[in-house]
Amino acid sequence: MELFRDTHIDFMKYRKIWIGISLALVLAGLYAIFGPHRLNLGIDFAGGTQVTVGFRQQPDLDRLRHVAEREGMGAAVIQRYGKVSDNQVIIKTAATHKGEDTSRTRIVAALNREFNPGKTGLDLNQTGADALGAFLVANDPDLVVAKDPAGAPAHYSAMADAILKARHDSGLFRSLDGLAHIPGVTPAAAAALQQKAYLGNFNVLGVESVGPQIGGELRHQGFLAVVMSLLGMLAYIWFRFELRFGIGAVMASLHDVVVTLLFFWAFGLEFNLTTIAAFLTLIGYSMNDTVVIFDRMRENMRKSRRKPLIEVMNDSINQTLSRTIMTSGLTFLSVLSLLILGGDVLRGFAFVMTVGIIVGTYSSIYVASPFALLWESLFGVGGRWGKKAATVPGRGGAAVNERAESRIDRTGSGSGSGTAPRPAPRPARRRA
Amino acid sequence: MNRNLLWRGLLILAVAVACFALAYPPKDKINLGLDLQGGMHLVLQVHTEDAVRVETDTDMARLIDLGKDKGAPNLKGRRTGDSQFTITAPTPEARDAASDLVSKYLPRWKVKRQGDDLVFTMTDQAVAEVRTGAVNQAKQTIDNRINQYGVTEPVIQATTGDRIVVQLPGIDDSERVRKLIQSTAFLEFRIVRAPKGGGGVPNRDELIKSLGGTIPDDVEIMDGDQRDRETQAVTGKTYYAVEKRRTVTGRDLSNARPGQGQFNQPIVEFTLKPAGADAFAELTGKNVGAGLAIVLDGRVVSAPVIHSRIADRGQIEGGFTEQSAQDLSTVLRSGALPASITYLEERTVGPSLGRDSIRNGLEAGILGTLLVVITMLLYYHLSGMNAVMALVLNILILFGGMGAFHSTLTLPGIAGVILTIGMAVDANVLVFERIREEMRAGRTVRSAIDMGFERAFTSIIDTHVTTLISALFLFQFGTGPIKGFAVTLTIGLIASIFTAVFVSRWLFDLVLSRRRVQRLSI
Repeated sequence: MELFRDTHIDFMKYRKIWIGISLALVLAGLYAIFGPHRLNLGIDFAGGTQVTVGFRQQPDLDRLRHVAEREGMGAAVIQRYGKVSDNQVIIKTAATHKGEDTSRTRIVAALNREFNPGKTGLDLNQTGADALGAFLVANDPDLVVAKDPAGAPAHYSAMADAILKARHDSGLFRSLDGLAHIPGVTPAAAAALQQKAYLGNFNVLGVESVGPQIGGELRHQGFLAVVMSLLGMLAYIWFRFELRFGIGAVMASLHDVVVTLLFFWAFGLEFNLTTIAAFLTLIGYSMNDTVVIFDRMRENMRKSRRKPLIEVMNDSINQTLSRTIMTSGLTFLSVLSLLILGGDVLRGFAFVMTVGIIVGTYSSIYVASPFALLWESLFGVGGRWGKKAATVPGRGGAAVNERAESRIDRTGSGSGSGTAPRPAPRPARRRA
Repeated sequence: MNRNLLWRGLLILAVAVACFALAYPPKDKINLGLDLQGGMHLVLQVHTEDAVRVETDTDMARLIDLGKDKGAPNLKGRRTGDSQFTITAPTPEARDAASDLVSKYLPRWKVKRQGDDLVFTMTDQAVAEVRTGAVNQAKQTIDNRINQYGVTEPVIQATTGDRIVVQLPGIDDSERVRKLIQSTAFLEFRIVRAPKGGGGVPNRDELIKSLGGTIPDDVEIMDGDQRDRETQAVTGKTYYAVEKRRTVTGRDLSNARPGQGQFNQPIVEFTLKPAGADAFAELTGKNVGAGLAIVLDGRVVSAPVIHSRIADRGQIEGGFTEQSAQDLSTVLRSGALPASITYLEERTVGPSLGRDSIRNGLEAGILGTLLVVITMLLYYHLSGMNAVMALVLNILILFGGMGAFHSTLTLPGIAGVILTIGMAVDANVLVFERIREEMRAGRTVRSAIDMGFERAFTSIIDTHVTTLISALFLFQFGTGPIKGFAVTLTIGLIASIFTAVFVSRWLFDLVLSRRRVQRLSI
């Protein structure tokens, strides 16, 4: 099987349209970043507390929001988490000046008031190992305290650990029926627990608290990382190819980041540390197709020194099309799997990579090369603001060929050719 | 098989075996991050200003004491900054004497005259020393407390900015751990001036009235919880007027243990070190009949009556549960924190969430691998098989590398593995496409393969380097789980250069060495 075998698509033909579309998308993306409807910032950057709570039964989100308002945490964001059958919810509160540990305590206290009203004693769904062990020792269902006072705590502590291990599978017990079946739990102990302890209706499965100070630091570091990454790429491509290609490549990467961010914002996804990691990776990865095309261009330029750059670009893109599509496609398949099956924590990451790869492939063709062309026509040798064309044909006539804009072609020999003797120009290659 | 082929094959085999040994069994060799195995990650800020202030207070008190015997009596001092205090002397001679005393006995202070007063400022070096000392002591104290709690492989490290990072795998009762760490546990024994006869009064104003309307200079009002005797539930506040003088504090404790009181309620029993025991004996001996306030972190836990001189042991009781008695004993044993601590960041992942993450990661990985393998086989036929084998080796080297560096696998790290799978075959694609091109141009199979690898090499290097640059910055700027991602991506990419160029080539050479091949299945 082979797709894209001998294509001759004129990619550069409508480049002004594509550049226009790209520009529009980038502007929209900038609006998303800096405009009024801000990005959904996760607590990593905005600070705050995020509590993941599992419930025995499907919780009603509106009821939870009501509880939050009652407790003075009306601005809390409440969303479902994980599979629907897991009955899990995320409660996110903004940063407070009182210290993030108070947020968590308040949330748990509020949930206790609402979902375990009036209950006292040991909550089997929230208790820790030590409290459970102490409870068992105090009640002594196996009657070991009298017989073996020194060993009793160890006996019950092992039982407590076994019970908690069983709870670890889903984070909370749905019912007390299975207690006696847990290996290491005696029937007497199970009975005692069923009678004297109760089964609360929820448990905190995870907490993330970020104080505003650290939030600010992470924002700063994330920003630095992106900027340094782009500069690093620019330096490397400049070193391996030429400046104009470096500029084109970096422009393409920037474009990818902004446009992907636009889609990210449109879907309302949460922007946190893992998301920034995805963007950084995208910057690096989206260079790949660009590099492959530039590599081919460099090879073609060496081979046919007289061809106008625009033709070289077209040819190179066509020749590497199969490569570009396949490499992007394969990576796309793997991140798509991550998007589908990877779970909530990595959803943002997978989205950025999936959309980013598509945008990146597009930009390698329609942004990187046209930008390199543009740069060249403005700042390159013989360009509008660049050096005058060399008196001796420079790198194999490339000096002449770079002014390949159709405008300049029409006017014939162009402005920058100077007065020095040049070999008679070959019959002008009219662009089709 | 020619020799070159043989040696290369053996090298590949050696690498494969080494990596297998490094990564097997995975349970022992690969660390799971806290986000996969469950646990707590905390970043604490040590407020070293507290420690500096304590030093300032102590030195100021010392100077005033010294002045009494050495020619500068009746000095009055007040603290005017974290590391600064001002002394007012009654006479110019006393002032000069005070100045001299400082240079002799308190060398870490600089003195400046301001009008008639003397302003003392701690040297920068001394301040820095106090701060570092406070952080180290805090780290040690937390270490002690955690160790007593019993965590496997805790990580407690001091980092820049007077911070401490704590990582506790496998903990799910984060509330309790936090209380354990954060309690400053400053214990003091103070004599109760009023009310007489032990206990406290529920009304603050009444208390002040009983002192004669104003609070004397050497007394301060403290409060404690009022509890129902049977249920031990808190029902309100009680107030005590206690002497400011503190002679015996938590530093004098030699041990503290949970125990049972008269009515079988949980209590904390303590014993004192010899020096402390003497001071305690003197204190209690002189104040028989008065109340002894046991003050913890500035609040009165209880104030029993002193019946007789107590030497070296005692009890603290007041609404403890077994768990809180246990925790308090732990905290008292491990020493007091030298400064207050606030939480800057906490990330706690319960084990059920960790398991979900592992499951999701595995499922995505399997699906991704399947899709990639099927695509390669469909598009490149038997050469696709070549790429698949290189991929398998790539993953093996990736895990071997992680085992070798003892890196931690986090959830983003799993994403890194999946990404590596997608990117590793990219290098193969670059080579195969080139080979196809060369064959179309008319080359023989042998030379097409050679040219394919040769020409594609620079592209492979370039594409890998650009992504590696990103990974480098991610490692530099990222936190724990992100660092894990950067690590897997980096190792995976480097491994992929090896497998795509060296291993893939060898596989082609192997096939070609068997028989003359006219057509290549690619």
